[in-house]
Amino acid sequence: MNPHVDFHAFAPEIVLTVTIVAVLIADLFTDDSKLPARIAALGVLGSLVPVLTLAVDGQTRSLFGGAFVVDPFSLVLTGFFLVAGYVTLLLSFDYIGEGDYYQGEFYVLLLTSLLGMIVISSARDLISIFVALETITIPTFVLAGWRKHDTKSNEASLKYFLIGVLSSAVMLYGMSLVFGLANSTVLVDIHKYASGHTPALFAVAVFLTLVGFAFKVSAVPFHFWAPDTYEGAPTPVTAFLSVASKAGGFVALLTIVRLGFFPSGNSWQPILWVLAAASMTLGNLAALRQTNIVRMLAYSSIAQGGFILVPLAVAGDVRGNAAWQAVVIYILIYGAMNLGAFAAVIAAARRTRSAEISRLAGFGRTNPAIAVMFSVFLFSLAGIPPLAGWFAKFVMFRAVFDANTTVAVVLGVIAAVNSVIAFFYYSGVVRRLWFDEPAAGVELSSPRLPVGLSAAMGLMTAVILVVGVYPQFFARLGEIAFQRG
Amino acid sequence: MTEFYRQYLSVAVLIGAAALMFGAMLGAGRLLRPNRPQPEKFITYEAGSDPVGGWGQSNVRYYVYALLFVMFDVEAVFIFPWAVNLKSLGVYGLIEMAVFIIVLTLGLVYAWRKGVLRWA
Amino acid sequence: MIAAFTITPSFYLILAAILFSIGAVGLLVRRNVIVMFMCVELMLNAVNLTFVSFAKALNDVGGQVLVFFTLVVAAAEVAVGLGIIVAIFRRRRDATADDLRTLEG
Repeated sequence: MNPHVDFHAFAPEIVLTVTIVAVLIADLFTDDSKLPARIAALGVLGSLVPVLTLAVDGQTRSLFGGAFVVDPFSLVLTGFFLVAGYVTLLLSFDYIGEGDYYQGEFYVLLLTSLLGMIVISSARDLISIFVALETITIPTFVLAGWRKHDTKSNEASLKYFLIGVLSSAVMLYGMSLVFGLANSTVLVDIHKYASGHTPALFAVAVFLTLVGFAFKVSAVPFHFWAPDTYEGAPTPVTAFLSVASKAGGFVALLTIVRLGFFPSGNSWQPILWVLAAASMTLGNLAALRQTNIVRMLAYSSIAQGGFILVPLAVAGDVRGNAAWQAVVIYILIYGAMNLGAFAAVIAAARRTRSAEISRLAGFGRTNPAIAVMFSVFLFSLAGIPPLAGWFAKFVMFRAVFDANTTVAVVLGVIAAVNSVIAFFYYSGVVRRLWFDEPAAGVELSSPRLPVGLSAAMGLMTAVILVVGVYPQFFARLGEIAFQRG
Repeated sequence: MTEFYRQYLSVAVLIGAAALMFGAMLGAGRLLRPNRPQPEKFITYEAGSDPVGGWGQSNVRYYVYALLFVMFDVEAVFIFPWAVNLKSLGVYGLIEMAVFIIVLTLGLVYAWRKGVLRWA
Repeated sequence: MIAAFTITPSFYLILAAILFSIGAVGLLVRRNVIVMFMCVELMLNAVNLTFVSFAKALNDVGGQVLVFFTLVVAAAEVAVGLGIIVAIFRRRRDATADDLRTLEG
């Protein structure tokens, strides 16, 4: 018996898997230290090719009894993850190369995590979502502890690990109850089950599952690991964690809510509402008093996660796909600006040799190019037009107005207040960059920036400016994602 | 005696047979082998190295072997369902499993190239 | 006489819930990283028990398949987790979560 398997449908996954194997072999059997990095970059770009051919084909493909579905939604997000992965590689080349050890392993782990992400955008049942989520997470435990001889990095890794496995266990327990009640692991069947009358136990199951996800996307009150892990991990890894792996969690959450729990609104809406409100408020308030730029961005990304949760929390009252589109558009834009911000942090740290915000004083005078791009990323995160960030906020608020219920409007007000608070700390950094006197002892004449890093920053700046001026570009992607294929 | 307990009768028979076989083999060994006690023979066997007295901390080097064992042991779980359905899965299943095992072997190759398997 | 006493799937589910709670409480109360780690494993095994008993009760093999994956993922987590713990052990002699003070706040 030869089961018919549509290999075209998971060609991106196959290409990436082959790349991982090739990187590992290259690392083991050659002495060329640049080779693994080159293969990794080539492989990630190579995986984009089948994504494009599948997009041109435009057909929805469902495999393995509906557990793995290739539709416009999964293609848009697969493309996003691959591009984000490529930018992370650009950030890593020199950072990891200068440490000069365990290069091959770094790329293998990074790509494995990336593989989990592109699987998760197509995963449509509890088993595949769980396995993909763990494929994302487990390599990042190791990546967070990359600087083996640094106590901070070790602790970052251990904390992240303990929280990670705890959240998996809680989520899995929730999933086991969902399975027991709905009698299936496929989301479509769970959707059918949730449409009927559900017992109280179903609410418990949904609660446990969502708590597991809340840990993964570091939503308050399950966020406490994030700042420590972000600070302890190598900065390119932090960029990857805060963008790609967080987006992976959101994509899984979106899928499981939209296609699974959706009809049983009472079980998931209040939880997401609380998570969104708490993440925005606490994330922003904590970010206000940080003196370390990486910790500030960590709290800022918790707050941004709260903004992403807003359309999800009100999705039950929004007709059509506007809320889901808002989530996808926000994730895409958030990815570009946060990767950019971390790239700028890496670039600045090469000059100042520090992650303290106070050391950035007067950076605009000594290194204007980096400072301009840094400011673009920060203002975009703050949501100032005409940078891409405003459009992300715009679609979020539009979803709130579409819902037009009291709870939704309250959440919208909380989001608006938080946008103002966020503006304070983002602009505080920008003010320091441009209007403060340079601190004594900051090196002015430093070696040129690595090409990869400059390219990553330039690319992200371009994306933010283009999307800010022509938001139709990402808006169209959001629409395409939810078209019937 | 209910049906419930009758099912466990076979378990009891199995345990009895196992104990009998065990005893018979050890007993036969005792009857047949020469008996020449030496102090070295009473030392606890610890994987070939000299035992350390009391509760010692085990060597960290064992950890890598233990981990490698756990990984391969657990991955073997996937081979069992495949083996049960070997016939119905046919050549396609054979190729799939070959790919799986090759990727798994790559892990061992990795450990070998990194010198983990050398007892230095 | 005991034959009237049948064991229903809910017995297993309750046992699993108890195991899960023991694991969760242990994780929060204990401070030794290895013990915390064992508590997580206990929670995962409680999950496995739930899946298997549901799979049996519903006559659906999907739950048992998920247990396979949970086992493998748990093994991968053990491998990575012990690796991290060993890396920390090499720098300091004991492993309690309270010692992780460098990154407080």
